[in-house]
Amino acid sequence: MNKSVEILRAENISKSFGNTQACNNVSLSLARGEVHGLIGENGSGKSTFASMLCGVYAPDGGTFYLDGEEYSAHTQVEANEKGVAIIVQEVGTLNGLTVAQNIFLGKEDRFTRFGIFRPHKLNRTVNEILKRYGFDYINAGDMIDSYDYEVRKLVEIVKATHFGPKIVVVDETSTALSQDGRDILYDQIKKISDSGNTVLFISHDLDEVLQLTDRVSVLRDGSYVDTVVSSESSTDQLKILMVGREIDRKYYRTDYGGTISEEVVLRARNINVKDKIFDIDLDVHKGEILGIGGLSDCGMHDLAKAFFGAAYNRSGEITTATGVKINSIPDAIKNGIAYTAKDRDNESVVLNASIRDNITLLALAKVRKGPVISRTKENQFAQRLADQMSVKMQGLEQFVAGLSGGNKQKVVLARWLGTEPQILILDSPTRGIDIKVKADIYSLMDNLRKEGRAIVMISEELMELIGMCDRILVLKNGRINGEFFRSKELTEHDLIHQML
Amino acid sequence: MMKKTLRAAKKQTCIGGNLFQALLPYIGLFLLVLIFGVMTNFTSVSLRNLRLIVQQSYVLIICSIGVFFIMTMGSLDFSQGSIIGVASIAIAFLAQCNLALAVIVGIVIGAAIGFINGFLFVKFKVSSFIVTICTMFIFRGVCAFLTTEKPMSAPMYMYSLDQLYIFVPVVAVILGLGWFLFSGTSFGRKVKAIGAGETAAKFSGIRVASTKIFVYTLAGALAGFAATINTIRVGSITATSGTLLETNIMISLVLGGMPVTGGSKNRFSSVVVGVLLFAVLNNGLALLQIDPNIQQLIRGVLFLAIVVATTDRNVAIVVK
Repeated sequence: MNKSVEILRAENISKSFGNTQACNNVSLSLARGEVHGLIGENGSGKSTFASMLCGVYAPDGGTFYLDGEEYSAHTQVEANEKGVAIIVQEVGTLNGLTVAQNIFLGKEDRFTRFGIFRPHKLNRTVNEILKRYGFDYINAGDMIDSYDYEVRKLVEIVKATHFGPKIVVVDETSTALSQDGRDILYDQIKKISDSGNTVLFISHDLDEVLQLTDRVSVLRDGSYVDTVVSSESSTDQLKILMVGREIDRKYYRTDYGGTISEEVVLRARNINVKDKIFDIDLDVHKGEILGIGGLSDCGMHDLAKAFFGAAYNRSGEITTATGVKINSIPDAIKNGIAYTAKDRDNESVVLNASIRDNITLLALAKVRKGPVISRTKENQFAQRLADQMSVKMQGLEQFVAGLSGGNKQKVVLARWLGTEPQILILDSPTRGIDIKVKADIYSLMDNLRKEGRAIVMISEELMELIGMCDRILVLKNGRINGEFFRSKELTEHDLIHQML
Repeated sequence: MMKKTLRAAKKQTCIGGNLFQALLPYIGLFLLVLIFGVMTNFTSVSLRNLRLIVQQSYVLIICSIGVFFIMTMGSLDFSQGSIIGVASIAIAFLAQCNLALAVIVGIVIGAAIGFINGFLFVKFKVSSFIVTICTMFIFRGVCAFLTTEKPMSAPMYMYSLDQLYIFVPVVAVILGLGWFLFSGTSFGRKVKAIGAGETAAKFSGIRVASTKIFVYTLAGALAGFAATINTIRVGSITATSGTLLETNIMISLVLGGMPVTGGSKNRFSSVVVGVLLFAVLNNGLALLQIDPNIQQLIRGVLFLAIVVATTDRNVAIVVK
């Protein structure tokens, strides 16, 4: 296939949101039949660029040319009609609708005769489409709610690709998928490019990008940096382009051969969470980083919630070093347990509140004079923690909603450091976060460990588990299925073997 | 360098915008007083009329404090008027024996109804809007039932208590306590956090369910207390006593700059400014001898206009 014919050209595309210039005169070109990577740190403008291409936002300036003609779309449906589709980062299907209704959302007209909608015709069509994709186990007439996250992503893939669009944008879709789901996604991407259409692939996982794409374009701070040919590039090269300077490759811990303390700070016995976790016993030791890994539905996220007293239908006992039982979130916080959730925006920060209010909310007792909350103390307290975490902000009054993913996570950590926790449960602490902030988080974890605090890190990224943890437990179907100790020889393969 | 100054400039206009929005209710109040003053040849700002405005605002202001906390959590309360109704009947009846007892029972009844609201809302996860509309109908029914024969009359001595020097300090103290509770205590922060993000509040160790029940109970108790003032001022309690109070409260709070979506942009001053705005508006319309039905219409249009104009659409993306 000749991959040199231009299908899309973006010329000087710009977009700003309030104070933030999300895209600044971005110009790039996609070729017919290629898989084109788009990478950059958090807040570099990748998703904004994709959203403009797909009719979610209108650009402030600049023009897209599709097949040589000026192209613009005001809605996603219009973009679809013109041959551009997107698979989004977060959940893109709607609850309360069937699989078929989701796939043809906004395009129901073609199943309507004389003004009457004909669901059977829709379902029949969609079942045929699903069969074509090899997804026989998905039924067009079922409510989307009855499927899990993975299957719903597959439905989104079908939704975006079944009509053979000229350009399919895949925005960070792989991060949330298991290996199986990823393989299916890669397969579909290949099919699209084989059929002569183009994929714009956005991802944080640079290995994946290099493996999958023909060329990669890099954005930095909203501006276009460069486009490189994937087969002639390396992850290090891409990182340098993304960050604008060379990054030390060793941002993980470098020490080996340490011993884990005998002192147990958190003890879990016979933990069961209905349908999720079965008979888990484990001890967390003082000053260790305990990693918990597995497939995304192996129960590790529920286990994290259980430690924090936040899991429903939990049985068994979780006790601290002093023998206090942890049965609710207030119990956990009172006894020095901190928890950063995978669902950062909903569970770990109050989006529509200021950075100050977020930080002090967890430590109200520390900013009081007698029964009265002191504004001065509050400001000092929040400022100290925000500085400690070097949160990039306009001021303490800024709402958390306006921060980038990495900065949000810094606020999350600042909040919890204010409670001076002895045990930190960090669920996917670096999820969707760029390299710079990742490195900051790793060094913070290392420091906390050295201070003798215990950390439980739940992660889907095996490299970070291997790089950071003293001990790794692998979960499979809600049970512990392997324990590994820190060692230079430990590989991803060892862990994967116990996960599957 | 240039980027930095640009950002600083944008930040300032941003703060300027917030400031304007914060001052809007005060500007509105000033304009309203001015307009009605001119239109009524300044009888509206006579001492006698101002005193009337203050007297008409006692109940509204006390109830608004409770509802302020409820709306800060992002919830609503439509049962306030019916609480006033039921409690007033009990107060009028008991005051024949003992005033102190009557006041206490009024508060207890209010708190009990508030507790029921909060309990149903939290326990059965029914939206507060539905729950409080239902309890409103229930307790309106109780009112009607208790006053079928004849209105419940308060004992004569109660009329003599309707004095500015009694009520103004009482209302001021309650306002002060409310302000302190909201701005100066952990409780206030927790209520705000629930309104801004309930899940995150829960994960921050806030006991969301009990806080919600407590806030409803508090609002009920305040209404129960306001019922005493209502009884003293009205004298004779009928089945319709306290009707429309709930909507008047919400109109007042919204006039005072309170976002209907709740959350962290709330200011306690909304209570005072809002109630004053509402009272001045009502009083002005009455002075101008506008038909009461038309007055109702004007209030409705105004309410809608302000909600539409001030709703932060960036926050309330999903409308249910």
